[in-house]
Amino acid sequence: MTWILVAAGLVLAGVGVSSAVGQAGSGAQPWGNELSDNFVFIKALPFVLGLGVAVGLLMARTYGAKVRSDGAIRRWSRGTVVGHAVLTLGFILALPTGMWQYLGGILDVNLPIPLYLFYRVHYIGASIVLFAATAFVSYLSMTGDRSLLVPRGQWGRHLLGLAYELPEKVRTPYAKLLRVDLTQPRPPTGQFTFYERVVEFPSWSILLVLITVTGLIKAGRYLLPVPGTVLWLSSTLHVAAMVAIVVKLLDHLRYTLPRWPLVASITSGWVNERYARLRHPGWAQVSGGTAAGRRANGESSGSAAAGALGGSDT
Amino acid sequence: MGLLGLLWSLANLVVAYFFVTGAFVAKTAAKEGILAQLSLLLGGVLIAGFAILLARECARMLTSADASGTA
Repeated sequence: MTWILVAAGLVLAGVGVSSAVGQAGSGAQPWGNELSDNFVFIKALPFVLGLGVAVGLLMARTYGAKVRSDGAIRRWSRGTVVGHAVLTLGFILALPTGMWQYLGGILDVNLPIPLYLFYRVHYIGASIVLFAATAFVSYLSMTGDRSLLVPRGQWGRHLLGLAYELPEKVRTPYAKLLRVDLTQPRPPTGQFTFYERVVEFPSWSILLVLITVTGLIKAGRYLLPVPGTVLWLSSTLHVAAMVAIVVKLLDHLRYTLPRWPLVASITSGWVNERYARLRHPGWAQVSGGTAAGRRANGESSGSAAAGALGGSDT
Repeated sequence: MGLLGLLWSLANLVVAYFFVTGAFVAKTAAKEGILAQLSLLLGGVLIAGFAILLARECARMLTSADASGTA
């Protein structure tokens, strides 16, 4: 049934996009290249979003915890792996082209490449981002997975866990600022680090919502009446979100590159048993009651050893 | 991968340079007023700061890889 929905979504998206492109390319409309691309983007959007919802349903079929015979634990489902790759592709297209539109205007510089081509690639990238974001929303609503969110009533534990993941120089001022009691033992890291749950996922989500909503308002202004103030605010926030995403991407790479097994896991889905036991003892313990999990239990019950294991790794 | 990270940092430092210099010399920003100029400056400083943090981490990765290679 899900496959039928995805196939129907693909056909509808294909028909929708090609008829929007056909209308724009027919020569019957008096629009320039930029405005024409804008209309193609906004007309194709409902089909792209619909396809995203259908693909999210398909992604949900790959959801579920698994432990391999060699002890490796699945950190990301295949759906999430594919969704992350698609989202990355969207950003690769949309971010540099958006940055050029902004900087080129500010610096008053023109490249030999026509500006409408930058917009075209930006719209394609934005469509891919919106498709992936919708697929993730659909996936999360189907699976009910909230493992990247801080559970209700657990903020204190997470802020404490985050303190131990911060470099020592930052740890004490952070603890003072947020009144985190550092005499308490380090809580064991679960499937996701405290930094991922407290900083990474919330910041990416907020930025993704901000850039898509403001982008949609900007792109929709030729179809629907948008008050001047709202348009100005959307343009300003869209640029602010773009800069924040550039910064967040740098931080994301700074955090993940030295933790290579985590980078590998977002392409394969899996984390090996040894790494899970060492860096995610709370998760290794829960996942399948493996020998690794049982050993991790001894190492991660809030002792000084757990702190030493995790070290200062943010 | 550390090398790619370094290249990415470098590209972002170039972007940060345009932001920061744009805050002082770009006519468009000057016309839009002090807030636009401050935003450019803040954006540039933030991008530069995080690019340096990434570069430092990548340099550490590269040197530790070398160390393990020679050991």
